[in-house]
This record gives sequence, C-alpha cells and structure tokens, in this order.
Amino acid sequence: MTTRRRLAELVLPALSIIGFVALWQAVVVLRGIPPIYLPAPSAIAAALVQMARDGSLWTNLAATILRIFAGFAVAALGGVALGLLMGRSRIVAQIADPWLAALYPLPKISLIPLMIIWLGTGETYNIVMSAISAFFPIVLSTYAGVQQVDHGPVLAARDLGASPRQIQTKVILPAAVPHIFNGLQLGMGVTIILVVAAEMIGGSDQTGMGYLLINAGQVMDTDKVFASLAVMAVVGAVIMKLQRFIDRKAAPWAVHAGPRQD
Amino acid sequence: MEVRVEAVSKVWNVAGAAPVTALDTVHHRFPSGRFSCLLGPSGCGKSTLAQIVGGLETPSTGRISIFDPVNGRGAAPGAASIMMWQGLNLFPWRSVIDNVAFGLEVAGIGRAERHERARAMLATVGLNGFDKHLPRQLSGGMRQRVALARALIMERPILLMDEPFAALDAQTKIVMQEELLRIFEASRKTVLFVTHAIDEAILLGDEIVVMTARPGRIKEVIPIELPRPRSFELVNTKEFGALFQHVFHLIRDEVTKAMREATAEHAA
Repeated sequence: MTTRRRLAELVLPALSIIGFVALWQAVVVLRGIPPIYLPAPSAIAAALVQMARDGSLWTNLAATILRIFAGFAVAALGGVALGLLMGRSRIVAQIADPWLAALYPLPKISLIPLMIIWLGTGETYNIVMSAISAFFPIVLSTYAGVQQVDHGPVLAARDLGASPRQIQTKVILPAAVPHIFNGLQLGMGVTIILVVAAEMIGGSDQTGMGYLLINAGQVMDTDKVFASLAVMAVVGAVIMKLQRFIDRKAAPWAVHAGPRQD
Repeated sequence: MEVRVEAVSKVWNVAGAAPVTALDTVHHRFPSGRFSCLLGPSGCGKSTLAQIVGGLETPSTGRISIFDPVNGRGAAPGAASIMMWQGLNLFPWRSVIDNVAFGLEVAGIGRAERHERARAMLATVGLNGFDKHLPRQLSGGMRQRVALARALIMERPILLMDEPFAALDAQTKIVMQEELLRIFEASRKTVLFVTHAIDEAILLGDEIVVMTARPGRIKEVIPIELPRPRSFELVNTKEFGALFQHVFHLIRDEVTKAMREATAEHAA
C-alpha cells in the first residue's frame, strides 16, 4: 500500500466526521433551530462533559457494559457447548432442531413482557435478556461450523491414529473455530441491542445507558439523548473492533488467507 | 511388509442410481520393500484400492492380508501403513511442527520429544527453519514436504501415496520425485503410489500395475528393472523411452474408453 493511500484512509474518515459536525453546528446556529429538536454539537459536547463530571455517564455505562458481557458470557458458553453437542450427536441435534427453528427468528425483544412477569425488572432480567439474544446465533453458527468441517483432515487424523475423542477436540473443534467466532460476533451485536432495549423498557434499578436515554427523552433533554447515543455508538464500535482483533489473534489461520508477503 | 490383495471388489451403492463397481475382483501381491505404482485413468479405483489397503475403506468382498515375509507376522489394514493424501489434508490451524508431530501427539508422546523428532524428520525431507509457520504460509512444494514428514514420522513399514504430487508445478514435482526416490532407496519401505502420470510411474516404481476403468481391474503388471539409485536423468534414456511407449499404448485404450463412456453418459 502506498503512503498516499494509507494517509487517505486515515484522513478521509476523520474529515467526513469533522465536516458533518461543522455543517450541523452551522445549520443549527444560522437557522436558529430550537435545541429541543436539534441541539448544536457544542451543546451535546457540553452535556457529555457534565454527565462525565457528575458521574452519571460512568455508572450507567459500566452497568450496561457489565450486563452485555455477563449475558454474552453465559450465551457463549451455553451456545458453543450445545452447538458442539448437536454436531456430535444426531439425537441431540434432532431434539434441539424444532426449538431453534421456532425461537431463532422470534424477535427477542418480544420476550421482554414475559421476562418481566417471570423475573421482575432487576439485574437477572437484564442479563437473561442479554443471554437469550446472543445464544441463538452462537448455537447455530457453532453447529453449522461443526457440520461443515472438511472430511479430509478428519480422515488424515484417523489414519495418524487419533481416537474419536481426539478427532473431536484436535480436529473438529479447531476446524469449526472460524464459524464459532462468526457466531460470537453476531451474538455480541444483538446482545448490545437487547440490553439497551431491556434497560429502556424494564430496569427497576434505574441504571444503564438505555435508562439514561429514555429518561432524558421523557424530560426532553435532547442534548443528553444525543450524548448518550454518541457514547453507545462509540462503545459498540469499540467492542466489535476489539472482538475482531481477538479473533485474528486467536485464529490467525482463519483470517486474511493467502501467501505471506515477506 | 508384504501386501496381498485377494479377490477384492468394491461396489458403491448410490441412492437412486445403479451401483458403481469401483474395483472388480482385484488380485495382486505387493512385494515387501518394493515401490509399486498404481496407474490408470481417473475412475479406475486406484485410490480406492490404496484406501482399502490402508484400512480407510472396507472391501465389499475379498480380503487384504498384510504380513512380514521374514517372520510371517501379520498386521491389520491400517496398523502397518500410513497414507499421504492427494489433497495433503494438513491441519491448517497447526504450525508445521505440530502438523508433523500430530501422530506422536495422539499417541501420548511428550511435547519435547515429539518436537525433537518432528524437527529431525523435517530436516530429512529438506524443510528447515519453518517450524512455526502455518501451512498457508508455505509454497505448494513445502506443504508436500510437511505432509511427507507427517507420514514418515509414523515409521510405518508401508507408505500409501495417493497422487501426492499431482497439484505441483513441473519443476517442483521433479524435485519432490527425486526427494522421494532418495528417501525410498534409503528406507526400503513398501510403497503403493497412485498416479495417472506414466513418466512418474516409470521413474519411481519397481513395477507398474496398470488398471482399467469401470470396473476397476488390473490390466497388466509391468516390472521396471531400471537400476537404483535413480534420478531424473533416467527420463532421457532409451530404456525409459521404450517403457513409456509400452505403457502409453496400454493406457491409451483405457483413456479413450473412459472418455467414450463419459461422453455417452453426458449425452444421456
């Protein structure tokens, strides 16, 4: 890659954001748009600074991130385990299949009323919503990954003396890892959505970015609404990028295939 | 180890189609310590025969007996042999050294010992200094060496090779053939080498088992009495040319027959 292209790759996205914010500021100031409809970027920044100062940003952000990861961890463990089991045993696959087929396409947000009836609106409710949403894409990707494992390396391992158990752990599991990571990424994406939604609708403990958002909206604190949205956008992007980075480190054979350039 | 193939047939039952006879009552004695090439058009069952000898497929009828001709001790198919695959079937997530050491690892040999032995085997096949690389970071020829080392480290007396060099470019193929000649001439394993290349079969083999397509049968066994050690220069000799002509005429009938059948099938 030429340095010129690399420079363009860094500069153009930055310019895109700066230009957009500048235009926004200019339009709001020149046209005198009421801040209740569209606050100026400077007002949003001021609201963000104030939220950071009084600590409300940090406590709510921490609560949301904790729920995301707690639910995701449960879903990842359970989902990968069930997916592997389904790949290993036709009986398990056949028992699980109708449930996955019925529940996967169901919008998980529609489970919120039921979960509130069963679990109340405390921390359990938030984490269960998070876990349920991530669980399905993780199970299905893991199962697909196990099913699509190349037969060749399995035969080779058998010829080299591997037991059926060793074939599972040393061939089928690592071969399915790219699919499993794919499922984990999909799961993380929906978990972020569902945790914020759950905080907006339930959330008796009145914490989390979703609560902050809906609360600010109800009292027409539009600059706070925008500040919360900006924070969530950045957090979401950072989590997804981080996940991709971990995937690349953990499974270097699966990504950017092709001969090495050195 | 000697391999006796006695009246082995293999019929593939395909759902909703007529059964396909891949091998039809094949008899052959693969002598101990000899390099036998299975030569024939695609679909003649030569790979299937190698897999049956290796215990990776079971014959529909007939039997395989494997034994040491000196003391008569027998072995089950698969126990005394190792396969080198057409598609190599390396483990893409394992480094070169862990690919080579796989057989030792599943046999419970400790990390230090298996790595030491794997490194020594990699040196034998001429691949030093790439221990930590992943297969995808290697060239085709280097991957061949990894697959060869992974098979040889098992120290099985029978080596089964299913068109291992088919995907290589012409120059790399010659280098690998000479490498294999050197390793065979030093170790004197029993080798079953599946190929569809006549020159390769003559260069490497002590005998060529020419097979017919559909059903797979043995058409003729041609002894290759060219002196060892051999090298690629052999290709330019008069004896090589004469053998090539002979085998070529045998094979040509089979290839045209197979092509005619394929065309007829395609038309139908």
